[in-house]
Amino acid sequence: MSITAETAKAHANDPAVLCCRREAGTVISVSDLEDPAIFDDLVDSGLLNLDGALTIEQVVGATLKETRDSLQPLTADVLDGVKASSAPAAPAEEAPEEEVAAPVLPAGAPVAAAGGVLKIHIGEGKDIDLEIPVGAIGAAGAVAPGVAGAVAPVAAAAEAAVAGEEVVVRTLTRKHFNITEVKRGPETKIEGTTLYIREGIEKEAVDSQNLVVDLKVDIITPDKYHTYSETVMDVQPIATKEGDSEVGSGVTRVLDGVIMMVTGTDANGVQIGEFGSSEGYLDENIMWGRPGCPEKGEIFIKTQVTIKEGTNMERPGPLAAHAATDHITQEIREVMKKLDESLVVDSEEFKQVRRPGMKKVVIVKEIMGQGAMHDNLLLPVEPVGILGGKPNVDLGNVPVCVSPLELLDGCVHALTCIGPASKEMSRHYWREPLVLEALHDPEVDLAGVILVGSPQINSEKFYVSKRVGMTVEMLGADGAFVTTEGFGNNHIDFAAHHEEIGKRGIPVVGLSFCAVQGALVVGNEYMTAMVDNNKSEAGIENEVLGCNTLCHEDGIRALAMLKDAMLGEDIKKAEKAWNPNVKSTNLELISNVTGKPIELVENEQSLPMSQKRKEKYS
Amino acid sequence: MGNVQLLLRQHVGAPCAAIVKVGDKVEKGTLIATPTGLGANIHSSVYGEVVEVLEDRIIIKPDEEQPDAFVKIKEGTPLEMIKEAGLVGMGGAGFPTGVKLDTKIPGGAFLVNAAECETGLVHNVRQIEEDFARTLRGLKYAMEITEAAKGIFAIKAKNEKAVAVIREAIKDEPNIFIHLLADIYPSGEERAVIRECLGVTLGVDKLPSAANAAVANVETLLRITEAIEDRKPCFSKNLTVIGHLNDGNKPHVYFDVPVGTSVGELIEKSSGIEEPYGEIILGGPFTGKPTTVDTPITKTTGGIVVTMEFMDLHQAPTGILICACSGNEERMRDVVSKYNGKVCSVTMCKQAVEMKSGALKCEDPGNCPGQAEKVLKMKKDGAEYIVIGNCSDCSNTVMGSAPKMGLKVIHQTDHVMRTIGHAIYRKLRISKQVPQLPNGK
Repeated sequence: MSITAETAKAHANDPAVLCCRREAGTVISVSDLEDPAIFDDLVDSGLLNLDGALTIEQVVGATLKETRDSLQPLTADVLDGVKASSAPAAPAEEAPEEEVAAPVLPAGAPVAAAGGVLKIHIGEGKDIDLEIPVGAIGAAGAVAPGVAGAVAPVAAAAEAAVAGEEVVVRTLTRKHFNITEVKRGPETKIEGTTLYIREGIEKEAVDSQNLVVDLKVDIITPDKYHTYSETVMDVQPIATKEGDSEVGSGVTRVLDGVIMMVTGTDANGVQIGEFGSSEGYLDENIMWGRPGCPEKGEIFIKTQVTIKEGTNMERPGPLAAHAATDHITQEIREVMKKLDESLVVDSEEFKQVRRPGMKKVVIVKEIMGQGAMHDNLLLPVEPVGILGGKPNVDLGNVPVCVSPLELLDGCVHALTCIGPASKEMSRHYWREPLVLEALHDPEVDLAGVILVGSPQINSEKFYVSKRVGMTVEMLGADGAFVTTEGFGNNHIDFAAHHEEIGKRGIPVVGLSFCAVQGALVVGNEYMTAMVDNNKSEAGIENEVLGCNTLCHEDGIRALAMLKDAMLGEDIKKAEKAWNPNVKSTNLELISNVTGKPIELVENEQSLPMSQKRKEKYS
Repeated sequence: MGNVQLLLRQHVGAPCAAIVKVGDKVEKGTLIATPTGLGANIHSSVYGEVVEVLEDRIIIKPDEEQPDAFVKIKEGTPLEMIKEAGLVGMGGAGFPTGVKLDTKIPGGAFLVNAAECETGLVHNVRQIEEDFARTLRGLKYAMEITEAAKGIFAIKAKNEKAVAVIREAIKDEPNIFIHLLADIYPSGEERAVIRECLGVTLGVDKLPSAANAAVANVETLLRITEAIEDRKPCFSKNLTVIGHLNDGNKPHVYFDVPVGTSVGELIEKSSGIEEPYGEIILGGPFTGKPTTVDTPITKTTGGIVVTMEFMDLHQAPTGILICACSGNEERMRDVVSKYNGKVCSVTMCKQAVEMKSGALKCEDPGNCPGQAEKVLKMKKDGAEYIVIGNCSDCSNTVMGSAPKMGLKVIHQTDHVMRTIGHAIYRKLRISKQVPQLPNGK
């Protein structure tokens, strides 16, 4: 399609291609030229060969010497009066090192954030090739001049009185109790490092829920990892509040070495999951060590819940499976509350720190809210509990502001059963890497976390995203992250959140699984900084639990990117096809500057190949 | 002849109100309905008796005898007589001529649209060839009324005989010229005519007067002459019947058909439909609408086209590319359903602008803005076939990408073009520019 003068300016150095047949003698104007935004698709379709094409700025005003048809690149041999190019001689695929290093944010730490580009191709939709500056790059010499330039404006904006001083808003202490063995016994108790679960508790758990028809408890020790399981609905820490502490502050007691795992089907044997499910041998279907997943070596208390037939796709069904499981967890929590302090093996303190004067950032986490199994209980009384939690669907999916510590203390009980590879389970929030990274980064002031549900209906999606925009605006944020789980439908609100935040002039960085299968279905001009959570080899939803969720390495990239964006760094053009190498290259560059190695997590290739994966994905 | 049905809305504006009742005897030229707002008088086209007055039409049973004489309109100034005669734009738009000519364009150009760009219709060009003197006088009246300084006939260069007739007639006329048009669609779009003749591209919401110009169809000029010289009301129409007919696919040209005659009667007069057939179109292949044999013709009907049967797409997923040059979305969907396709993607040319009336207008008729993005969209939406209604230039652009993507292209007019033996609209192989006559003479 012909382009406007504005588009032509933005694409001045892109190839000039006729949008339509133009006859000899035509003086080329921008309205004769095709929009470069669709070139990738055209090249991929074999419709366009850009060899020898002049740039848009070169051809405008030149005269066509012979009649040329649509989608033909304008080359020097068919034009009179071609202008000289103003573009730098550097080729499009210049080495990242040649890109300008971004100045660092003011802070004590000698950490540089900088350029480098993560390039993601979005195959669907319109004009959504994204360019992503990632991480720090460049030699120390290149960074140094940037520092001075960057400090001044930020410092000026700071409230002088408190600039640079950290303010601890509240703290949260996690006391760890180690469990090395889980057994069944006449009563639920913890003796030393052995957890006993009362025999017969299953019946009470079943009876506690109308829709639950059966519940089995399996103790999965590492030697039993090669056990068949129904789809994994959730992985949860076993934790409880101490005394009068509330979620998000005070003291939390947590068991190490053991987790709760909810699995299930309906009475017809249908998996409680949508767009893929992770049933199969546990060791073939769990991506160990993802924030939301079990660690290798941990014991799983796995419930296999059977709910009434047909209720797997309705809201009460999956909730009942979770509630029945929580009946057991709650009994363990009661025991934990009475444990002697001498059993505490480790204690860690989380500080919610505000850093006045630093760039204020917020993390918007889009969570599922379409109903059915796409729901989350927010702010239960116990970490990842049921009691007291409000389903975000019932809250209208509107943004709910929580403190970073509330999030890390289990304020989200995830009922989500979207594609296993990208879903954020309850444990994910407990160990949310981006929140941890931002909280600990001395260069930014993390204002808080905004949880926003993803409604089913488009009008509601836009309703909630407008609230997100307002919330971020009134927080006075300098930058925002938007994360999402799943892909497809939820990308509509994901895009809308970017727009609502971005149009207020607030830089925004998005994190989502995209790669190949999750290519964005919509896009807008504010979606210029994106981090792809993909880890899978082929860029797909591979039905391996947690595989493509947000990990530490993604948090680092996103944080570096947002810092760049807040400093007004330009984002360079993306490669046209998804290329996983870009991510690793840029992580290496970040690592070179920070001096800290960034270990990449493994993907499904490290797991034994399941029959399903063999059949469906290889 | 069968009953004559005179629609109360044959023009741009509000429907007229009937001023006759059942049982009234009427003659040719009897005023039977008058405007209620913007509109034009409607006169009976036959001698006969009013048998029904419906909300949207008056039905007259014609007498056996139909003398040529008619009730003359009262005398007045030329403009008054044009208004009294109920003249409307006969090219299809139906804008009341009396209102159009009431706008002065001193020193401006009065353009005569003789492009006849709806493929298959030939009565405009035939009129020039056979009855040019009255047409030329019509132009002079129009120029006088509007105070235009010059008149320009816009006609396709391919109509050599008609061009020769005009050249001969205007050789001594100091203010009347010819502008030759290329044989592309839609060279007769009003704003395209202005752009070609005057080099001004009007906005979609602008009237020709914005370019100090007026545009009228050749037949309208003829009717102006009739109204002024013969005091004849506007009750007859020239048109072309063409298509899948028993005597072949050659055009039948009719002059002075009584308005209100049924489509079926005109088809029968043209040897009848050759069964089986696809559809009957009232108007031209691009902008016409599907119709039935019972439908009456109006002051704006230019063509009746009977088509061959539609190909069967067996419910193949089909994309449609809507533009202002041909059918609207409803018509495009109608065509897809007649092809037994299934609409899976709806796109619209970026140059199509929706007017307040809901109609689409093209920002630059006949000059393509590029279509690759739309084609990609339809491909992504899963289309196997795409139905387009684009102009020659845009069709050419679509052909630059769609076939390479594996999309099968159907033009909305294909079944008509195949019926009448005209090339289908695909690649554009001629220039959009034609050499002009020396000094427009």
